[in-house]
Amino acid sequence: MPPSEAAAGSETVRSRPPAIAAVGVTKRFPGVIANADVDFHVDVGEVHTILGENGAGKSTLAAMLCGLYRPDEGTVVRDGSPLRLRSPRDGLAHGIGMVHQHFRLVDRFTVAENIILGDPTQPWLIDPEAVEDEVAAIGERFGLPVDPHARIGDLTVGQRQRVEIVKVLYRGADVLLLDEPTAVLTPPEVEALFVTVRAMVAEGKAVVFISHKLGEVMSVSDRVTVMRNGHVTGEVATANTSQRELAELMVGRSVVLETRRGTTSGEVGLSAAGLVVRDDDQVALDHVDLDVNQGEIVGIAGVAGNGQRRLARALAGIETPAEGTVVIGGVDVTGRGALAARRAGLAFVPEDRLGTGLVPGLSLTDNMLLTRRRAFFVDRKTARADAEQAIVEYEIKAPGTEAEARVLSGGNAQKVLLARELAEVGEPGGPQVVIVSSPTRGLDVGAAEFVRGLLHEARERGAAVLVISEDLDEVRSLADRIAVLYRGRIALEGPADELRLDEIGMAMAGVDPAEVR
Amino acid sequence: MGYTLQLERRLSTNWKQAVFTPILSVLAALAAGAVFLLIEGFDPISVYRELFDASFTSKFGITDTLTIAVPLILTGLAAAVVFRMNLFNIGAEGQLYLGAIFGSWAGLALTDGLPTVAGVGLVLVFAAMGGAVWALPAAVFKAFFGTSEIITTLMLTFIALFLMRYLIFGSSSYWRDPETTNFPQGKRVPTSARFELFGDTRLHWGIVVALGIVMLVWVLIRFTSLGFDMNVVGSSPASAAYAGISTRRTVIVALLLSGALGGLAGGAEVAGRAYALDPNGLELGLGFTGIVVAALARYHPFGIVIVATFIAGLRNGGIALQGLPGERVPVEVSLMLQGAILLCAIGGDIFARNRLRLVRTAPQNVEAAS
Repeated sequence: MPPSEAAAGSETVRSRPPAIAAVGVTKRFPGVIANADVDFHVDVGEVHTILGENGAGKSTLAAMLCGLYRPDEGTVVRDGSPLRLRSPRDGLAHGIGMVHQHFRLVDRFTVAENIILGDPTQPWLIDPEAVEDEVAAIGERFGLPVDPHARIGDLTVGQRQRVEIVKVLYRGADVLLLDEPTAVLTPPEVEALFVTVRAMVAEGKAVVFISHKLGEVMSVSDRVTVMRNGHVTGEVATANTSQRELAELMVGRSVVLETRRGTTSGEVGLSAAGLVVRDDDQVALDHVDLDVNQGEIVGIAGVAGNGQRRLARALAGIETPAEGTVVIGGVDVTGRGALAARRAGLAFVPEDRLGTGLVPGLSLTDNMLLTRRRAFFVDRKTARADAEQAIVEYEIKAPGTEAEARVLSGGNAQKVLLARELAEVGEPGGPQVVIVSSPTRGLDVGAAEFVRGLLHEARERGAAVLVISEDLDEVRSLADRIAVLYRGRIALEGPADELRLDEIGMAMAGVDPAEVR
Repeated sequence: MGYTLQLERRLSTNWKQAVFTPILSVLAALAAGAVFLLIEGFDPISVYRELFDASFTSKFGITDTLTIAVPLILTGLAAAVVFRMNLFNIGAEGQLYLGAIFGSWAGLALTDGLPTVAGVGLVLVFAAMGGAVWALPAAVFKAFFGTSEIITTLMLTFIALFLMRYLIFGSSSYWRDPETTNFPQGKRVPTSARFELFGDTRLHWGIVVALGIVMLVWVLIRFTSLGFDMNVVGSSPASAAYAGISTRRTVIVALLLSGALGGLAGGAEVAGRAYALDPNGLELGLGFTGIVVAALARYHPFGIVIVATFIAGLRNGGIALQGLPGERVPVEVSLMLQGAILLCAIGGDIFARNRLRLVRTAPQNVEAAS
């Protein structure tokens, strides 16, 4: 999919002012400068990506463009005239609409109801048919088929995203800001989204695409603005750049994008047999069999909501399976609780870091105590020393060991969590089995690399490592073996080197690979 | 160009805010109270001075204030230990009554002839048990069925209230003094079940016990695994499940502990002031006031001591105001101030957690746009 046509198109209308621009904007938050003197512009009829690590300031910039934040300094300019947006609604009134990473839809409302929710231009008496016709027309024009009568709660994640996009289009947005829109989509859904994006720019809309996935950025955008630490480090046309160059601009040094494979001893560290987890009558996990050997990383791929969370919880003893067994280090821990699983040698890094893995309201020191064995009195001295050591070794940016975990950024919270869980992996008496959910989600490239290194190190120390992630690239870059989870079942399993990408993609989308062949 | 006020979340709260916020809240409440006093035609300065003098400047004023503070410290702790984990036992009032019922039974039945230490000790142990027993249904329903403890503890309070009245006014129970038939009263416990007094004052050794329990609760919250578990369960139930901390067990233990503290307040009242199961002397809203105490003290045990003393002073002074010659300031003034203080404390909390900033909205720079 060459973006060159659109790029050429934007060249011809160069004389027009940009659809939206940020001129020297600065935004400060307590303790950080999220955006420092940032310049950015999108022309009519182009896709412009803001690329950057987490915490680089991408979302802050987008939030200022759509009216969610107001810049401390600098101006947002729309079609050549400066704007002072007071709210996202104000932004929409100026034709600027944002599609957030986390959807803002009411589950119990229909698609049409959600679309007019909060729309100040609706008449006092709503005309549902007019809304539905308009929604259908927009769907047709931009390749966004949605059923206006469907309830949001019944829709897939991909469909919900479509509703969000239709919603901003319905409000008449000409500038669309898409914040990490592909994070929750299957590969076919990503393709469909890109078709929509191209249809939108072809109609003269301007699209701001926020991402940190280099492959997508290259395929969908005309130009890329790269941010690092709140500064713009470069603006390039995708036609004249490469993934490697973008990666370097993003992290400020060249990155090794290779993978290492381990050698396993063949001894089973973690074993699940016939695992079934039910919610009332719905099946969350359907007879899952899984073995993870010592010295190997097994990756569970799959689109969000196919049983990953429940699998992790059942394996870690937090949830009791309806059927089946969980064996950790040779000990049957089925239904015996999280403590029994830990005593059998488990370390577990849940996907929700602040709120599950770490207690936001407790200090780093106290968070170090969370999964330690505790006597009648807690041993804060050791925990404090552990926290200090973690801050130094893992280069954690924290005000100190007594700071509350809530002040940490996502990457730093993940480091604290990993420091606690992985500290003694492979040592005698330490954990021999590691379960990690979405280990690098939301982390910048540098931190992600560091985390991958830690997991490789755990494997080299002989641990059985299970990585559960919705990010296929992450699974592929880490795992020796990959299993795909679809609707609570293992749909595909095999060595990472032998599985083809399209095979995995189809299994993730629920297509039986045998049928395709 | 203009200015806007913004609330900005503080990254951390330091001890200065913890100390000054309550003080400023109290001053704001006194200012609000002054308005009403002025409307009623009183001179607020002199009323406040009388209030202060009556509670804090004379030997008997101070000791009476401290006597009232004893149960408030304990009910304050009862509220604080669970409120800080978002568990709202608002039934310390009923737990106090049950503590008084159990404690006075022990005093009447078990302590005759014992040395005071053992006698009073028995009263307090039974009182704590009584309070815990009264919290038990709420704890079990909360832990196993998720029933709102706010509702159950409140309803249990009314049952406790009428149970106590029944024991004295409605029946010839063990607790009722058979010799007073005209106006029913509780049987008085023997001296072995009474705290000793300090000199010729009404202040009793209960204050020392209460302070000791403050220390124990502080150590429990701050240094023990149980306190740690309570912290985790309170602030992040998902983390508790993840770490294998039993939410059920922790919730039950915490509510029982809270009930026991409420019960202790009842025991201390029996052993230190009422000397009998005396509905008239116990129905003072001490349990409910404990909630105010805990909230003002931001659930910190040491803060509770200070706040309880302060509120006790208000109550003490409120009573004294009535006896003033000429002015006849109603006793409700002290209740009104209590309410105003609570409201101001809640408001003050916003400023302790957030920084108020006057922000100059950025001047529009049109040239930069071109």
